[in-house]
Amino acid sequence: MSKPYTLNELLIITCAKEIEDYQNVILGVGLPTTAGALAKALYAPHATLMMESGIIDFQPLVPLHHIADAHSCRGFSYATDLFTAFTMTYRGFVDVCFLGVGQIDKFGNLNTTCIGDYFNPQLRLPGSGGAADFISYAKKTVLTLRGGQFVEKLDYFTSPGYLDGGDARDRSGLFPKGSGPSMLLTTKGVFRFDDLTKEMYLSQIHPGVRLEDVRKQIPWELKVSPQLTVTAPPTDAEIDFVRRFAPAESLGREAATELAIAHAMQRADARGKNGMTGQRN
Amino acid sequence: MAQPNDNKVMSAKEAVARFVHDGDALIIGNYTVGTCAELVFEICRQGRKHFTLYSQSGILDVDVLVNAGCVDRLVTTYVMRSGGKKGGGAVERALQAGSLELEDYTNFNYNARLMAGMHGFTFIPVLEGVMATDLFRKRGFMGEDKYRVIPCPYTGKQVLTVPAANPDVCIVHVQRADRFGNAQYWGAMGSVAAAALCSKRIIVSCEEIVEHDVVQSSPHLTIIPAFRVDAVVQIPWGAHPTEVLGYYNQDSFFYGFFRQFNTTADAAKAWMDEWVYGCPDREAYLDHYASRFGTGMLDKLRAKAFYSAPANYGAAFTSVWDETGRNRLLGLTLAEIEQKMAERGLLNE
Repeated sequence: MSKPYTLNELLIITCAKEIEDYQNVILGVGLPTTAGALAKALYAPHATLMMESGIIDFQPLVPLHHIADAHSCRGFSYATDLFTAFTMTYRGFVDVCFLGVGQIDKFGNLNTTCIGDYFNPQLRLPGSGGAADFISYAKKTVLTLRGGQFVEKLDYFTSPGYLDGGDARDRSGLFPKGSGPSMLLTTKGVFRFDDLTKEMYLSQIHPGVRLEDVRKQIPWELKVSPQLTVTAPPTDAEIDFVRRFAPAESLGREAATELAIAHAMQRADARGKNGMTGQRN
Repeated sequence: MAQPNDNKVMSAKEAVARFVHDGDALIIGNYTVGTCAELVFEICRQGRKHFTLYSQSGILDVDVLVNAGCVDRLVTTYVMRSGGKKGGGAVERALQAGSLELEDYTNFNYNARLMAGMHGFTFIPVLEGVMATDLFRKRGFMGEDKYRVIPCPYTGKQVLTVPAANPDVCIVHVQRADRFGNAQYWGAMGSVAAAALCSKRIIVSCEEIVEHDVVQSSPHLTIIPAFRVDAVVQIPWGAHPTEVLGYYNQDSFFYGFFRQFNTTADAAKAWMDEWVYGCPDREAYLDHYASRFGTGMLDKLRAKAFYSAPANYGAAFTSVWDETGRNRLLGLTLAEIEQKMAERGLLNE
């Protein structure tokens, strides 16, 4: 029996297992960075971790603030530019990349641009960033969905998954054969894509989650693997690593922000400063 | 395709035996200075044949390979003449003998082919002035595919293009590398990085192999990342008689000595027998040099240090925990954070 873990820790650790030793990995911010740091420390010491800003082969020592964070490491091996980072991916030198999801359809196509009408949006999301390029050309893409949603039809088609399913992606001739999303990780479970139809199915369910909780989020009749497994609880070594590397990630953004502000206020008080109360008066 | 982050250090003999094959498209990565002389010599010793050789600018390196009979086809922009009007050198002799096919480009157009290859494009637009010249009109073994003209989709203007180059193997000499293959080079950048990065396999020779942390503290000097490199060979004086910035100057005497021999086939053969085939490796070559001319000749060429100012790659901290064991952001110890997790019901058994 391992020690108790937070849901965020479970997600990070599940994500990290998608990285194999010797792979070239493009890390996104947040969960994937911590996953990358964990993988490099525990399972994949020869992996080359990269950021699209052109920071190549680094060992994260603290969590990244963004994808150009050279403060997160003590040096790195190669400084290139964004253009080359993408053409490097285009040429097949990136094995795995990680992308966050705003909306996703059953074939793993993504929207990270807007909710509602594009020209009159209800929510304006960040946009493509590197997403559309990376999922096009990385050998495989790992998707993470925390605040996003499953939809029948995307409000905006930002990044290509398996298009209309089946062999549509390969047949289009636009992408390397066999590329595309390999997994979608959510707070409820792990989804993978059927070899033939490319429709997503539930492959793993997280401990304590009921199947109906998963189905509730999904507007179509979700397929479930006949070999559905429960996500393995993390080991002590994995939990310890994540908690020491990124305790704020372990806690989750909301709790961490609250505690951080409380700490800053206490410090200001102790030094006789007014902190934020000064602004209010 | 590149190898993983393992130790790739080996001898020139092993690197050439494993990664340079008969019939390869071979590219010399260096341009005008610091050429990979010892890798070139080793390829000659191993008797490789039928290369399509790419070189931005043919100097001693190209002539030695052509003298050795390794090259069927040459793609270049510039060919060194060894003896003025007297005898041009190996390339001229091979052209006269009909044993070498040549494709001539401009420096820019040649380099553009490498850039396209490096970035995975199938072709690239280039500067169109050459359309008025025989560079455009006279086609060698590439025929129609030497240059093609297309309309620009935005302006309708005629645009000159060249096809991407993706040679099978690049040989390149740099100042230093780590054992994984991160290759660091400074000075005249030429087309060195593009030549390496457009190639399928890469052999790096270097003046010295350094610890990985030296590379990590100077990543902007790295021109080839480890994951692209197949072999790393440490060869001090590996570019002699050409020069390596920070290590040694050009050996003008010896370069002239080579050029003198290179004016006729017989003399060139004698030079090759003595300096390439007669020396099993670079150490033997240097021993031979010292025995013929004395070590003082080389000592005079050694660079005096002129170090670049160090750049600061430091951050405020490299751990989220401060010196008292408290998280910098939350002001809490690990035990206190775990307690907060429990209080908030975040922990799962």
